Amino acid sequence: MSLLSQSIASGILIGGLYALMSLGMSLNWGVLKIINLAHFSFILLSAYVTYELASVYGWDPFLAILITVPLFGLGGMALQWAFERFRISEFESLLLTFGLFIIFESLASTVWSADFRRIDSAANPYASSSLKIGAISLSIPTLSAFVLAVAIAFGTRYLLDQTHFGRAVRALAHDREIAGAFGVDHRKVSMQLAGLAGAYAALAGVFIAMSSSLFPGIAVEWFGIVFSVVILGGLGSTMGTLLAGIIIGTVGAVATVTWGPSTAPLVVFLILIATLLFKPDGLLGAKGGV
Amino acid sequence: MTSTNRNTSLITLTIAVILWFMPTFRETLDYPVFFLLFGYTLFFWIAQASSWNTFTGFSGYFSFGQGAFFGAGVYAVAVLAVKRDWPLLLTFLVGGIVAAAIGLIIGVVVFRLRELRGEIFALMTLAVAFVMASIARVSPTIDGGQGAPVNNVPLPDFLGDFPTMIFRLGLIVATLAVIAAQWVQRSRLGWGLFSIRDDEDVAETLGVPTFRYKITALLITAFIAGLSGAIHSLQIGYVTIEDVFSIRVPLFVILMSILGGTKHWMGPVVGAIVVVTLNDRLNRAGFQEISDFITGGLLILMIVAVKEGLYLRMRTRPARTAIGFVAGLAIGLALGALDESLITLLAYGLGIAVLAVMLPLSWFARGRSAEAEAKVASHG
Repeated sequence: MSLLSQSIASGILIGGLYALMSLGMSLNWGVLKIINLAHFSFILLSAYVTYELASVYGWDPFLAILITVPLFGLGGMALQWAFERFRISEFESLLLTFGLFIIFESLASTVWSADFRRIDSAANPYASSSLKIGAISLSIPTLSAFVLAVAIAFGTRYLLDQTHFGRAVRALAHDREIAGAFGVDHRKVSMQLAGLAGAYAALAGVFIAMSSSLFPGIAVEWFGIVFSVVILGGLGSTMGTLLAGIIIGTVGAVATVTWGPSTAPLVVFLILIATLLFKPDGLLGAKGGV
Repeated sequence: MTSTNRNTSLITLTIAVILWFMPTFRETLDYPVFFLLFGYTLFFWIAQASSWNTFTGFSGYFSFGQGAFFGAGVYAVAVLAVKRDWPLLLTFLVGGIVAAAIGLIIGVVVFRLRELRGEIFALMTLAVAFVMASIARVSPTIDGGQGAPVNNVPLPDFLGDFPTMIFRLGLIVATLAVIAAQWVQRSRLGWGLFSIRDDEDVAETLGVPTFRYKITALLITAFIAGLSGAIHSLQIGYVTIEDVFSIRVPLFVILMSILGGTKHWMGPVVGAIVVVTLNDRLNRAGFQEISDFITGGLLILMIVAVKEGLYLRMRTRPARTAIGFVAGLAIGLALGALDESLITLLAYGLGIAVLAVMLPLSWFARGRSAEAEAKVASHG
């Protein structure tokens, strides 16, 4: 029983990390109509930059946020600029970012080799520390990722609901032409939103570097989970993504302790199929809205 | 899009028959065995790229699922022929059928959706390969994570020794894939798929049976990819989950088709020939590490700058293609490539021809080429 409750607790926490990884993807897809596979590369490279700063320069891993967030925020904006410049359609974006994904993956394996890399415990005291509540222990990196994911989901929701920027984003998601007719500068708003998505990817990367081992091929393994979370949550839905992340994380963790670790992807995939069959708009997805 | 007719398929068949007898006259022509293996690699990728394009290129539905279909074929042989002693040729067929069944399931789930069908289809096909990999990893009857040897299978001896046999098997599947693509392109099915690519809602309103057409084309794609994968298992020898379900197969078929052009059956064939030849020579020259950079970069370049692909460009610029190819051969000869191998010489010719075709139009004769372009665009 304690094994089960422990796995549910860690599943919920890891679900926060999944949500953090998926949020930028969901916004990009739902609002900007861009399926950005380079999002995974941003997460991967951010994790490697964190690794580099912590292991080689002795930084506290949390401080890596100061570098990675601006770096990949700008990366997201640059990419969005290029999409607008070359008038890339939704399908072409998938292909183009697939090309980028391949380049970034081989960049990572050129710089950091194809071996497993992990910040050593001296430089990363958080990896082994945990918070104990009764019999359940919560690891610090995933706990912080969870707290941050919840804060970011609510923060983004507030941003979209209450600010001028948010109204412009929602107008864009609804109808690009009409929004333009009402004075929404879609280039500017798109670039800001893409920058935000890049920053979220950077944050996710920092926490991944703190909690697990890295190798260049790991990014491919995130595809299934992140797409399941994005579709289950509903495109562009912030609260939906958070909820979906937690559900997928919990179900995956429970499947792991019940039937073994290799069954987790299978269960996640079945959830994805069920979503597509019975609730294609996602849990909290509103048609065309954000 | 009417530039293919029955004669095209007859010509294809004739070329295939001539190639079939290549190994028979190896003594007379005096070429190294390596040529047969290179030929097989070429056939394998032509089959994979053409089959991918028959669904994706013609219908516009983007598939990352080639690895899943290919993998189904590979494991059909690894499980049935090796562990269960089924006859090898039968397991080839089973590989194709299993792959087609997987395609059918994906199609039935996704094509029923009203919205975002295209995007969801792309992601589903991406996810299916991972799921199949994890099933294979869990199940000891399939793989169990240890990998599976595909040697010691009784090979059909009427096809000759191993290089000859694999060359001929590859040739059969490549011919099948190309002729299927030609048939689809000129048939009613093809016209239906093109209308789906242009505007699916309008096509549906005009009475095109979109669901049935998509499923049919996807079945053709999956079956050929599975069949080709089954044969490829013999070439691999030792099958591992990581290699079979890696992103490599989908990546390369996508690159080849986009490079050659997705709107014509010839596109993937041209793309496969260019990529396989250049890749083979680059690897031989020790540029293995940068080959991924080149692959990704080429993909991006094509999307941004040469959307119609090499084949249609070559058709609008035959002079440039020919001059580039001859110039490439000349450069190769001058550098002494012939001493090494005919393939190196071919790589020079193709490489320079591709560069010549890709350079912006305005660098050469202007008005004439633009006119020719408009002509081809209207005829396809």
